[in-house]
Amino acid sequence: MIEIRNVHVTYPVHNGAPKKVLAGINLTIQPGEFIAVVGQTGCGKSTLLRLILGQETPTEGQILIEGQVIDHPDRHRGYVPQKYSLFPDKTVLENIIFGLELEEFGLFNRWTPRYRRRRKIFEAQAHEYLVSMGLHETDAKKYPDQLSGGMQQRVAIAQALIMKPSILLMDEAFSALDPATRREMQRLIREVWKKYKTTILFVTHNTAEAVFLATRVIGLAKTDNVSGSKVAIDALVPPHETPEEVADFARYIESGEVEEYAG
Amino acid sequence: MKLFAIKAEPGRMSAIVLSWFLFAAGIAFYFYTAAERHKENPDDRVVPTISQLGEGLHDAAFGTADEAAGRSLPARFFDSMLWTDTVASAKRFGWAMLLLVPAVVLGLHVGMFPYVGVFFLRFILFFDKIIALSVLPILFIAFGIDELSKIMLIVIGVTPTIILDTINLTKGVPKEQIVKGFTLGATDFAIAYRVVLKQILPKILNSIRLNLKAIMLFLFAGEMIASTDGLAYRIALLRRNMGMNTILPYVLWVALLLFLVDWSMRVINQKLHPWFRER
Repeated sequence: MIEIRNVHVTYPVHNGAPKKVLAGINLTIQPGEFIAVVGQTGCGKSTLLRLILGQETPTEGQILIEGQVIDHPDRHRGYVPQKYSLFPDKTVLENIIFGLELEEFGLFNRWTPRYRRRRKIFEAQAHEYLVSMGLHETDAKKYPDQLSGGMQQRVAIAQALIMKPSILLMDEAFSALDPATRREMQRLIREVWKKYKTTILFVTHNTAEAVFLATRVIGLAKTDNVSGSKVAIDALVPPHETPEEVADFARYIESGEVEEYAG
Repeated sequence: MKLFAIKAEPGRMSAIVLSWFLFAAGIAFYFYTAAERHKENPDDRVVPTISQLGEGLHDAAFGTADEAAGRSLPARFFDSMLWTDTVASAKRFGWAMLLLVPAVVLGLHVGMFPYVGVFFLRFILFFDKIIALSVLPILFIAFGIDELSKIMLIVIGVTPTIILDTINLTKGVPKEQIVKGFTLGATDFAIAYRVVLKQILPKILNSIRLNLKAIMLFLFAGEMIASTDGLAYRIALLRRNMGMNTILPYVLWVALLLFLVDWSMRVINQKLHPWFRER
């Protein structure tokens, strides 16, 4: 469970008044939820994600995961950013197994028979994830710059999931993709969520995407230009079948007339 | 053929002709000047003719006729002035290249770890502004006129550039990559060596390639001032008796060696980092 308790974030500004980004965010996220965070550019969506990731610490308040204060990114929280999600010097396969290798082998013990044995096991696991992400086995030996944007993000998801994180954090992960690939990736991440039951926190500025993907939508908004953003919307998404239903609920969320999620 | 058209695509033949033209023109101009000077003064030593150059190169690479008696060509080459000087300079060059390894490691640590950064960066920036040749007398006093002072000259002249370049390359690695590394369970050192260094290594090798000429410049300065062997020592020595018929082959030999080192480094870089595409 993730508990966000009265979190404020303020950034110092050189020769100016400090910039308030988040002002008093309170949220509780249950295991297995698929959360989409929406809001306008600059409202602090990515800041909230970075806080949960442990990349930043709040100016005030606390973020607890399973009761522990987090202050550093670690292997329990997977991360899929919009860009630079893969290591360019590693092949697809090496990217996917990198975390597993790091976990068992340090800088200097990778020239042992045990490493070679374990590596074969890691590779077999990686191939499973590769296939479940809709990639071909022949893609395993390619380098990231030989893949399309959509394929790169598939690999990035596999790379994160193979570590079996308790939460997967995705920051505008599909924003740079063309509409057709984006739809494909949306379907894929829904399937991934159903299959692996991982808690997902997905940051997007696209409300329709948020409604299509998530079980719960959190909207951040600023009340004025000086104060930081607060939680303006916290809504459970009803089951939907057609694009029209998604569009209707997205419009409903954008209107701001939704009831607050009781948790 | 539009010479100044941005979208022009030179054909294969025109590319060959144009790219070799300046070489051909330079050679033609040289031999024309040599012929003209020798018409006026058959003993001219400033611009030697092709036969004088051949003789100078032969003597440097295989010894004089007296020294050659009864010996095989390879044996004469490996005993020659050119080979002995090449080996002496190559040793100093090799040491200087090896000392660039700690420079890269320091640059990586300064770029990665803020405390190491604040400890070293200001000093490195100051050190970078010291003109290496201006400390040459100090080096000779401090380290003597042996090998160490010449290697130190190269180190002082080139390492600050390599360190600063490594720092910039390290800081240029996207933050997402570092965070991603942590989320995959990497430690700080694993991020530095297995994520960042591996990504910037081909660019560092390119940076060293671009600094090869600077390395040679400092090596030549040291050898010309205080040495008893080496390519630059020989050039300086031959200058005294106007031995242009040997100096010119030496200059071309140095250029060829440098070209070969640069080419080998490029090939090694491509082999070691097949993923790297220069942009």
